[in-house]
Amino acid sequence: MDRTAAFQPVDITIENVDLSFGATHVLKDVNLDIQAGEFFAFLGPSGCGKTTLLRLIAGFNTAQRGRVLLGGEDVTHLPAWKRDVGMVFQSYALWPHMSVAQNVAFGLEERRLPRDVIAARVDEALDIVNLKHLKDRKPSQLSGGQQQRVALARTIAVRPKVLLLDEPLSNLDAKMRVQVRRELRELQQALKLTTIFVTHDQEEANTVCDRIAVMNDGVVQQVGGPMALYDAPANLFVANFLGTANIVAPVREEGGRAVLPGGVAVEVPRGGARLVFRPQNARLTQPGDALSTGRLRLPGEVVHREFLGATIRYGVKVDEAECLVDVPHLGGEAGFAIGAKASVDIDRARVLWLAA
Amino acid sequence: MSFTRRIVCAAAIVMPLAAAAQAPSGKLTVVTSFSKEVTGPFKAAFEKAYPGTTLDVQNRNTNAGVKFIEETKSNNGVDLFWASAPDAFEVLKGKGLLEAYKAKAEGVPDKIGQYPIHDPEGFYTGFAISGYGIMWNTRYVGAQKLPEPKEWQDLATAPYFDHVSMAAPSRSGTTHLTIEAILQTAGWEKGWGIVKAFSGNLRAVTDRSFGVPDAVNSGQVGYGIVIDFFGFSAQGAGFPVKFVYPSLSTIVPANIAVVKNAPNAAAAKAFVDFILSEPGQAVLFDPKIRRLPVRTASYDKAPDGLPNPFKFPWVANAKFDVDKSEKRFQPVDALFDQLITFQHEPLKAATKAIHEADAAIAKKPNAEASKLVAEARALIAAMPVNEAEAASAEITGAFTGGSGKEKAPRQAELEQKWAAFAKEKYAAALAKAEAALKAAR
Amino acid sequence: MNAAALRRILAQPGQALVALAVALFLAAFLIIPVITVMIAAFQPKGGSGFTLVNFADFFATDLFRRSFFNSLYVSAMSVAVATVLALPLAYFTTRFDFRGAVIVQTLGVIPLIMPPFAGAVAMQLLFGRNGTVNLLLDEAFGFKIGFMEGLNGVIFVEALHYFPLILINLSTALRNIDRAMEEAAQNLGCSGFRLFRRIVFPLAMPGYVAGASLVFIKVFDDLATPLLLNVKDLLAPQAYLRITSVGLADPMGYVISVVLIVASLIAMYLSLLALRGKDYATVQRGGGGLAKRPLGRGDAILAYGTILIVLVLTLAPHLGLLLLSFATIWSFSPLPDGFTLAHYVQVFSDSGQYIVNTVLYAGLAALIDVVVGTAIAYLVLRVGVPGAKWLDYAATAALAVPGVVLGIGYLRTYFGVTLPSGQSLAAFWGMIVLALAIRRLPLALRACTAALQQVAASLEEAAENLGATKARTVRRIVLPLMTGGLAAGFVTSFATAAVELSATMMLVQSSADAPLAYGLYVFMQSPAGRGAGAALGVIAVLIVGVCTYISNRIVDGDMAAKAGAH
Repeated sequence: MDRTAAFQPVDITIENVDLSFGATHVLKDVNLDIQAGEFFAFLGPSGCGKTTLLRLIAGFNTAQRGRVLLGGEDVTHLPAWKRDVGMVFQSYALWPHMSVAQNVAFGLEERRLPRDVIAARVDEALDIVNLKHLKDRKPSQLSGGQQQRVALARTIAVRPKVLLLDEPLSNLDAKMRVQVRRELRELQQALKLTTIFVTHDQEEANTVCDRIAVMNDGVVQQVGGPMALYDAPANLFVANFLGTANIVAPVREEGGRAVLPGGVAVEVPRGGARLVFRPQNARLTQPGDALSTGRLRLPGEVVHREFLGATIRYGVKVDEAECLVDVPHLGGEAGFAIGAKASVDIDRARVLWLAA
Repeated sequence: MSFTRRIVCAAAIVMPLAAAAQAPSGKLTVVTSFSKEVTGPFKAAFEKAYPGTTLDVQNRNTNAGVKFIEETKSNNGVDLFWASAPDAFEVLKGKGLLEAYKAKAEGVPDKIGQYPIHDPEGFYTGFAISGYGIMWNTRYVGAQKLPEPKEWQDLATAPYFDHVSMAAPSRSGTTHLTIEAILQTAGWEKGWGIVKAFSGNLRAVTDRSFGVPDAVNSGQVGYGIVIDFFGFSAQGAGFPVKFVYPSLSTIVPANIAVVKNAPNAAAAKAFVDFILSEPGQAVLFDPKIRRLPVRTASYDKAPDGLPNPFKFPWVANAKFDVDKSEKRFQPVDALFDQLITFQHEPLKAATKAIHEADAAIAKKPNAEASKLVAEARALIAAMPVNEAEAASAEITGAFTGGSGKEKAPRQAELEQKWAAFAKEKYAAALAKAEAALKAAR
Repeated sequence: MNAAALRRILAQPGQALVALAVALFLAAFLIIPVITVMIAAFQPKGGSGFTLVNFADFFATDLFRRSFFNSLYVSAMSVAVATVLALPLAYFTTRFDFRGAVIVQTLGVIPLIMPPFAGAVAMQLLFGRNGTVNLLLDEAFGFKIGFMEGLNGVIFVEALHYFPLILINLSTALRNIDRAMEEAAQNLGCSGFRLFRRIVFPLAMPGYVAGASLVFIKVFDDLATPLLLNVKDLLAPQAYLRITSVGLADPMGYVISVVLIVASLIAMYLSLLALRGKDYATVQRGGGGLAKRPLGRGDAILAYGTILIVLVLTLAPHLGLLLLSFATIWSFSPLPDGFTLAHYVQVFSDSGQYIVNTVLYAGLAALIDVVVGTAIAYLVLRVGVPGAKWLDYAATAALAVPGVVLGIGYLRTYFGVTLPSGQSLAAFWGMIVLALAIRRLPLALRACTAALQQVAASLEEAAENLGATKARTVRRIVLPLMTGGLAAGFVTSFATAAVELSATMMLVQSSADAPLAYGLYVFMQSPAGRGAGAALGVIAVLIVGVCTYISNRIVDGDMAAKAGAH
């Protein structure tokens, strides 16, 4: 059976949305465009509004201002049960008084499909998640991972336009997480469903998603693909949230140039910005080594080092700031000792200036 | 025993004469089924006559009162039991819970007509009399264009169907006496015939005496067979009701007794004396009470319009054999309940059919139909036991427990037998009446 | 009991002690007094010795058989009608942003409080054959409706009287459902009534069954309403009539009481069976509860309309009571002839003591009920002490014991015991409190059980894991989470205890100790006292209403705090 046959994914548009709960302003002027068939992530720390936004799309919240469009259709005032978006809840929300098969069949029964069609689709959905052999069990008899699959099967069975996943991996152990996120990715690719994945874990977002919206404090900080966000973060928050970032504040500014710790002066694109670079984009050099062109140097002292197998991570104190430098470990090299004087040697081209 | 009581008892033993001459004082505990309207004026009058006494009145329905005295006899705290009909007093007397006391009262005869006012053995004392009669709601009767009753027999006629109420004799000692009086005056067979005839017209058989006037007062039922003071006090309270004594009625007494081992026996006896004295009897004239005195001389000072039962024309001739009444007390209760109270629907259905047949015959006289109706009536009136059987040791023993005989029937068996009897007879009566109706059309 | 079980019990001596204490309480104040009275059922009449012949007689008697089946029929139908009344109120007040929710929940309790005698008179004056409704109907349309006639009349009055039991238990259960359950269904396209039928109601089933089984048993054992309507071929009034006849030493009354108790226990057992395996405890993530939605226009009209109809119907008796308390004369007319304040004046001058006593007795009784009820619920659901189930059955059996039997039993058992003050123990007002508590315990027990069922065991285990003892866990975790159910249990106990009369009548020995219901009874003995009796009844209803309102506010505020800004 062609599994993609009846899936008709749509794009999602969020326009100028403002949402408050009482006095708390949770979403602030959010605008997003999600492409059909995209695997999209809402990424951010606790309380940033990502779950609220997800629930807005599902229809469980109402915004004071703004619109939500699914496939071009304005669904802002449409109640949840008419939106045809599939949601997998963080707690799975399987109904304890129904068996697995009955849970999965539920949405199909609501759509008044004929009995044999329902039976076939239930089997198909359970097949996709490899749980057909458990279809007569009750949810209380399943493990966490199995429950999640049932929740997923339940949603897929109705072939929704959009799939919403609320922190789906947070209840699983580390090994399961890796496995399940791969399976989710495969599934999404096979079904070509527009999928939104809410998480606070950047590794999850990076590994499975096409694009990510990073949120903080109700505001969308930046939208882009994982690599783009990583390499070109729009502000300090994004830089810090995705991967490790070294942030160095200039000692002082004078006439369009910033003086860095160590005395180097550089031109800055705008005032008040901070120097940001990734640990792997820097090298450690002896203080006396020649400075190549196109590179920047910050003198300091090694205060700790971690042997991570493929890399050695050094913590280098530069004036008051501490920078992390990842140096590939080629077998046999001793590297720098703690207490040794070393300079952080950065490629100017790979340096970012971001506003505070 | 409490400290105070010990002193009183000791004093009573050591100085009997002095105790007798001592004025009553202290707390007097009374268990009564009378309402506050009755007990209030007596309390006020007694406490005024004997300062230093306080009457603590505990209101309970009759049954609860009897059970209470029974259960608390080991440390009795009740001085007086004050209620209406003698049956409760008989029970207490039978269990040895009363103390015999012959009140010091002059001018109170032993009997009114044939009916004794006090217990011949002196365990309880009658202090007021009432008569039974019919009470009706004028608005109800007016709105439904119904007649005003005069005699018991009126209640058995067609216009009264489904408009009358009475209490079950098993639940109301005074109603029991009324039924018993009918049985004794008209004879067992005919008496039951009369009772069943008007019972077929009843809308409801209530389980407590006050349920009847209550329903009439509210207008839920048109007529009630009640004790006279219910009628009078309702009128006094402003309800649109009227009351009439039929020309042949019953006298029912109200009684008081001293409880055995009373904590304040002296005051208790003084109270009994008091309510039989002239000032005590005068309290009965209070418009909220409206009971009739037992002291014949009191009628000289009675308010206008108060009937004098000693002068009722029928009283002198009315026969009432107390022993007979007491012997078959429980079988009569059970017969009424099994034949009437719990078979009320079938009885009503048969009665209604008879009324309809009668109406048809009145329009078009028909000998055969009349015969069938008479047969139907006889079927209704039929009794499973005759008078002698009802008073026999076998049957009365089934109710009191232990007739001693091996093969004696149990109460439940008798009741089932009588119930089945009634069911069968009423069904047959219904059939006959319906046949009569058909024949008359 | 094998060695392992014994060891387990000794390892937790606190729990064993609690179980023992509860067992002693029930034995002392329920089982022993009742047995002293009911033993007559097993003795030949007037004699001694053991026999079952009375029971054979019971089944051989047509009247009793008929009464038995009538009682079953009436109870089942009352549950059905009560459900129809309770469902819309529970649904609307728990699922929507309903401004009057707390008021509705409060008013919903009031029908439970039917002051004796006065309530009956008021009902007759409104719904009786010549009551307000029928007089108006007759005048306008020429026909009357037999609201209060026969078995259907009993069903009507009982459903009106007891539907709050379903309302309260159902509402509590609804409030405790995890919101995600509902949202998942909405997400899959389900809404409105289908959503309620397929998801919400099944999950609220434990609460519903708790309430429904309670109504069934209470109606089965109720004698006041049938007697009010003069319907005598039901089991409970038959028992009462026989037990309270003067002089007749009749064992059949007690036989019927035994049959009542056994039947009630069987009904309870069946309801427990029906709930087995449906353990729907949901982990409370910060409170949950169904999302309250704002009321759309159409929905609002439907909601307010339905609620208004139900409330008017169920509060009509109390309206009648109110009218009666102000009435001069009310007889065979739709409304009283005139109005007066005289009854209230009379009542206030006489009755301050009655009011104080009532609040004291009913309050204490309700408190005892909630404590003992929680203890039993905990022992049954969590600890599994052997025999805990029997505590549950014993407590529930109290429903079937007529108040007068309990009263007599207390007198018989405790009258001989003298307190240091020289007064007999049975005369001490505390016995009235205990009688009220015992008779109300079954209601509170069901509420506590339902409340505890909805607290997941894992929440307690988490606390114990962090070092809290069982006692501290119960106090800090379990009880706060049970607040809704506990309040419900307290309120129903309090409300019904405030107007109890039958056991009180036997035990009251001085007017200083008397509660409102007793004062009411005294007034209602004479025609002129009707108005005053009604006034006292209104006061009783007001007291209970105020307490219920306060408790509902507390519970609602508590739940809102737990739910946070979800």
